[in-house]
Amino acid sequence: MNYKTKFEACLKKVQKPARYIGNEFNSVHKEKTEEMVSFAFCFPDVYEVGMSHLGMKILYHMLNDREDTVCERVFAPWVDMEEELRNAQLPLLSLESHTPISEFDIVGFTLQYEMSFSNIINMLDLAGIPLRTKDRGGDDAFVCAGGPCAYNGEPLADVIDFFILGEGEEVNNEIIDAYKEWKNAKESRIEFLHKIAKIEGVYVPQFYDVVYNDDNTVKSIKPNRDGVPEKIKKRIVKELDSAYILDKMIVPFMDIVHDRMTLEIFRGCIRGCRFCQAGYLYRPVREHSVEKLVDTAKKMIDSTGYEEMSLSSLSTSDYTCLHELIDELLKITVDKRINLSLPSLRVDNFSMELMEKVQTVKKSGLTFAPEAGTQRLRDVINKNVLEEDLLRTSRIAFEGGYNRIKLYFMIGLPTETEEDVVGIANLAQKVVDVFYSIPKEIRKGRQLTVTVSTSSFVPKPFTPFQWEPQNRIDTLIEKQKLLKENIKTKSISYNWHQSHVSFLEAVFAKGDRRLCDVLIAAQKKGCRFDGWDEHFAYDKWLEAFSDCNIDPEFYAYRKIDHSEVLPWEHIDIGVSKAHLIKEHELAYSEVTTPSCRDNCSGCGAAGFGGGVCFE
Amino acid sequence: MSKMRLKFSKLGMGKYISHLDLLRTFTRAIHRAELPVRYSQGFNPHQLITFSLPLALGTTSETEFVDIDFEDGTDKIEVVKKLNMCLPPDIKILEASVPVVKAKDIVSAEYIFDITADSEVNDERVKSFFAEENIPAVKKTKRGEKEINLKEFIYSVDEIAVNGEKVTIKAVISAGGENNIKPGIVAEKLCEFIGNARPENVEIHRTTIFYSDGKKIKNFC
Repeated sequence: MNYKTKFEACLKKVQKPARYIGNEFNSVHKEKTEEMVSFAFCFPDVYEVGMSHLGMKILYHMLNDREDTVCERVFAPWVDMEEELRNAQLPLLSLESHTPISEFDIVGFTLQYEMSFSNIINMLDLAGIPLRTKDRGGDDAFVCAGGPCAYNGEPLADVIDFFILGEGEEVNNEIIDAYKEWKNAKESRIEFLHKIAKIEGVYVPQFYDVVYNDDNTVKSIKPNRDGVPEKIKKRIVKELDSAYILDKMIVPFMDIVHDRMTLEIFRGCIRGCRFCQAGYLYRPVREHSVEKLVDTAKKMIDSTGYEEMSLSSLSTSDYTCLHELIDELLKITVDKRINLSLPSLRVDNFSMELMEKVQTVKKSGLTFAPEAGTQRLRDVINKNVLEEDLLRTSRIAFEGGYNRIKLYFMIGLPTETEEDVVGIANLAQKVVDVFYSIPKEIRKGRQLTVTVSTSSFVPKPFTPFQWEPQNRIDTLIEKQKLLKENIKTKSISYNWHQSHVSFLEAVFAKGDRRLCDVLIAAQKKGCRFDGWDEHFAYDKWLEAFSDCNIDPEFYAYRKIDHSEVLPWEHIDIGVSKAHLIKEHELAYSEVTTPSCRDNCSGCGAAGFGGGVCFE
Repeated sequence: MSKMRLKFSKLGMGKYISHLDLLRTFTRAIHRAELPVRYSQGFNPHQLITFSLPLALGTTSETEFVDIDFEDGTDKIEVVKKLNMCLPPDIKILEASVPVVKAKDIVSAEYIFDITADSEVNDERVKSFFAEENIPAVKKTKRGEKEINLKEFIYSVDEIAVNGEKVTIKAVISAGGENNIKPGIVAEKLCEFIGNARPENVEIHRTTIFYSDGKKIKNFC
């Protein structure tokens, strides 16, 4: 039996075989010739999660638009499929042509969250690709990674041949070009890496030596050969409108997490919330023009047939021409019965007018993220949202007929006290009170549902809170309990994230190279899909740490001094360390920083020469 | 109102598109093709699309039927042409017609079972399976599991061809609203009976759907 027949037999035994069949509308199927470069784009999670990710769609179509390149998708097989593949002794296959991943020239992972790291190891293992860079040679594929977690990819430094830092629209093309040149020149593996290490935004970990102090902190990170930069700077697309624009999307057969068109309206965020890594990583803010967006939306509607379109950005209501954009979009969506959805709205600039516009199509629940329960703590984290804003917005929403509202908060934030935790319950209660203060004839329904969700604060690299310790697991659990006890009405339901996962997230977010051994050990013990509660095995992780003689608490629970060399010290996101220190200090003074549009705070991102810094 | 019945095939990897996913696939293809489909009334309007007989997951077919309500005067040829441009490669519209027969009159369907056994198969063994008086099986329904005699659901066996480890069987089994049976159960029980074959190595293909007009069994159209 050949492997395709065996693969088919596996499909008959698993749940949701549509995860593995490919052939969706707009998927690209190319015949690979000898001269072409093949790129396996791997998302280290299951199909329906990976297919909901915009970045992958952009880069997939961009690479496939090149005649000399074939890009195919790869997702982590769900646990039932993994078992079947292993039993049948089948390697991990690509979705389009069902080709073994190990036969591709470049295997690229996107790192969206730390808890998918074990899936990367597991996928490489399934693919039969040597796990460590040093064990690869000859015809082995090059393994690369990009995405937000690549900025501190140190826990994967032994595994990934090269990281791509920043936005991939330009740099990926440069890498493909370099690969072709290298292949024609028939040079050694290391020469390819040396060649691309000179491309801005490419980081080859093996070209850097990390030296540690006796107390396990980092002493220095230095290049170990000529021609590679001391600091690796991220890449951005200076002008979004002139970059590659995605106007088609694969339309999956099965229901995926975000089963809709995604229209990216801008990158970055003007706000500067001090806990938010994305807010710093994607600086400076750059917008698409209304004309370009409307044109793209039309093409996307025609090419997908989707019945919903969602605007995508870190903060929708901060788009400068939002009203104009929505008016223009409604002109093309209403007749075609397409719903327009606006996620990531802020409570401070939410208006009745805006809400009514979106309502013309569909009324769904509202979600807001005050993040902290008291004004003091919101000032600490620079979430410039006032209680009045939330209550005013809630009133508008309730009078407009909404009766479901979700509120997102974080617990364990720096300087948090019991009063701040109880403040979450109090704030939710005030929202409930607003609802019942509205006459019955105006509000819709008798019942209100306020869902309060808390996640546990995870200090992230490249934020002002990168030096902060995380709360211990038992402290977080106590705070969750305290909050629960202070919720006094049935109108409020409370759910929270597992603190054990948040702890490991902190460890890997701020981890260094020594964690590679732990990741590999954990995968051997069966860790994968750690982001899925039913598969997260905390005990196995603790065993892996202990086997490798590494104390995870060192990474998560230590207050780091501003003078310490950080494991990601050699990575430059364009925001200066001095700015992060200043923001860290302002947090402790409970002083807020205005948005980029109100007043430039000189973070350094202007160095990229574009975006909001030059508006 | 002009209801159109489209005959289509679902081949290749398309067999892993579930019934619900197929509905979504059609909805979006109709959108892409910009065909004048009619919508249901009510709070959540949806396109008026009805499949005549669901196809079990993992089964290919050369004769599937779907009824779609279009605005009056919609051209059949146009619908076939445009939809085929907008459907994924494994689904193909074969023809369009005005529905005559009701889906509730469907009584059976013909399937071809292609088995690749682990080793050579004894054709007497295969024949004796279909000659059994009683083939106990369990039918899963929404309300739970039910013990049945599978034999009563197998209406005819038109062909048994055994060639080494390859076995091909053509059979008509019960289908439709009242006595629907998944062809996979037949494959499973047969594999169990002959011993050296596994259900995951059976390819099942639907060739024809039959209905009864009260007197005779005829091809559904």
